[in-house]
Amino acid sequence: MNGRGKYAKKLTLAGLVLVLFLLPGVIGRPYYLHISIMALIYIIVVSSLRLIALSGQISVGHAAFMGIGAYFSGILSKDLGLSPWLTIPMGGLASMAAAVVMGYPFTRVRAIYFSMVSLFGGIMIVNLVRVAQRWTGAAGLAGIPPLSPIHIPGLITITFLGQKTPYYYFTLVLTLACLVVLYRLEHCRVGMTWKGVAQSYLVASSVGINEAGLRVLSFAVGCFFAGLAGAWYAHYNLVVTPATFGFLPSIFLVMYMLVGGRDRFAGPVVGAAILVMIPELFRSLKEFAPLILGAVMVLVVFLMPRGIAGLFDWTKGIERDAGRGKATEHAA
Amino acid sequence: MGIGLLGQVCVNALMLSSIYVLMALGFALLLSIMGVLNFAHSVIYMVGGYVCYQLAVVAGVSQWLSLLLATAIVGSFGLVLERACFRPFFGDPNRTMVMALALIVIMESVVNILVGSYVRSLPSFAPGVLRWQGVSISRERVVTFAIGAALMAVLMTLIRKTRLGQQMLAVSQEPVGAVLQGIDIFRVSAVATVIACALAAVAGSLMGAIINLNPFMGDQMLVKAIEVVIVAGIGSIGGVAVAGLILGTIDSFLPLLLSGSATDAVGLAIVILILLFRPQGLFGHAV
Repeated sequence: MNGRGKYAKKLTLAGLVLVLFLLPGVIGRPYYLHISIMALIYIIVVSSLRLIALSGQISVGHAAFMGIGAYFSGILSKDLGLSPWLTIPMGGLASMAAAVVMGYPFTRVRAIYFSMVSLFGGIMIVNLVRVAQRWTGAAGLAGIPPLSPIHIPGLITITFLGQKTPYYYFTLVLTLACLVVLYRLEHCRVGMTWKGVAQSYLVASSVGINEAGLRVLSFAVGCFFAGLAGAWYAHYNLVVTPATFGFLPSIFLVMYMLVGGRDRFAGPVVGAAILVMIPELFRSLKEFAPLILGAVMVLVVFLMPRGIAGLFDWTKGIERDAGRGKATEHAA
Repeated sequence: MGIGLLGQVCVNALMLSSIYVLMALGFALLLSIMGVLNFAHSVIYMVGGYVCYQLAVVAGVSQWLSLLLATAIVGSFGLVLERACFRPFFGDPNRTMVMALALIVIMESVVNILVGSYVRSLPSFAPGVLRWQGVSISRERVVTFAIGAALMAVLMTLIRKTRLGQQMLAVSQEPVGAVLQGIDIFRVSAVATVIACALAAVAGSLMGAIINLNPFMGDQMLVKAIEVVIVAGIGSIGGVAVAGLILGTIDSFLPLLLSGSATDAVGLAIVILILLFRPQGLFGHAV
């Protein structure tokens, strides 16, 4: 890409971020802020899913790891009284720990079998959450404390109770930070190695790359961000139920990634944003709202083979397809 | 545990197994022949139950006839499914999956709109109980098992003895080779889809009579179907019966000891373990 193109890209990105920051000033209605916050949270989750997919593994149980972070952070802050600012990263770490524990056996199998195992693992996690009713509540975990207020003496005090706007800004910052980290991870040495492993694990291991360990690493890092986002969601929503992290939500996460486009970094961002917002924006249609979602999915799948973000690649598509054989087209 | 309870649990196991097998057979057929994870199968199962309900309760058609009609209707919908959903994306599993998911979303909301999400019950196909040596067994469940076993036997004969069945086996083993032999893989997959949808419709109707109908009943059953297929092994049709029996027995006996969610968790743990130590399943091709 030539110098001028790079500038244009960075400028557009900066402009977009600016618009996002100014959004509450334009649409102050709490409901729209709520939709935006949910979209931002799911952008983190789907982008982290894509990180795992970079190493050639499609995890169909990702929502469950979001749930691990949510419940861990929720229970710690509710029952032990720790500050949510502390428990949210801990939720991410808990999710990462679970991913490491489950990841070692899971990464023994590849491709579609990994997807199967992750699917069942995800459902099993949710069932275990339901079983542990003493801690997780019969119908869900309620009474989760919101983010504790921030006091900057002399300047401002930010309270999160009952107001969406501070949540929006902080969620935006969190999302941007996570996206930056994920982007850097993908384009650094580790990320390149992941892509290499995805293309051919045999060649990778023949060159001395510990492909199994790397796959566990990508699974763990991806689940960390999912847990982080889940914990954040818990302290935003103040209530979590097991159904939010179950089988169908996990599959929908994969779908958000596929519809948005698996190949580009912006894919999950676009996919999550659009597919989370559509059912909410059309909520007034009540039962008919899912039909709009279904229609959009059908549209995308017929017209945009590489997902929505793939539209930007229509010139590059030819070279890309030539270099990539069917063997690397893993079934989700 | 009294003999009465044991008897009922056994019959339950058989009934549950046959429902699982009916669902899983269709799923396994589509998976091995077309390499597609047909997530829409759950919706077919649900729609089958609802069509039967509409015929039997709303239109007043006789019960067994409505079962047959529902099977026929949903089976022919399978043709549409194959044409619209699988054929355009042949060879691209990701897009097929998104399309199948779109179908789930659309069909679940269509049924929700048309019929409402209230739980509905199909009248029993074989009301009453059988008594045998002090054990009372629901006749319904026995009949369900009988139907399931019969259909399984029919399907196995179809695959082993008829030409079409041989073609299906060929396509599942080596699609390119099958094409070279002159087999029309699209015709084969169309027939397979019809059979799969018909089986799912039967399962849905039977389940609707035993338990009830709601627009989201397919979700849970889909997971079970995938479990059965994985345990049996991708590529194996006959193994589905064995795997279905195993899982049906687990799901019937474990609730005696543990709560509902714990049963699911244990069942899944078993499946995961099987998958880790024997990814090809009990009877599948080697990985």
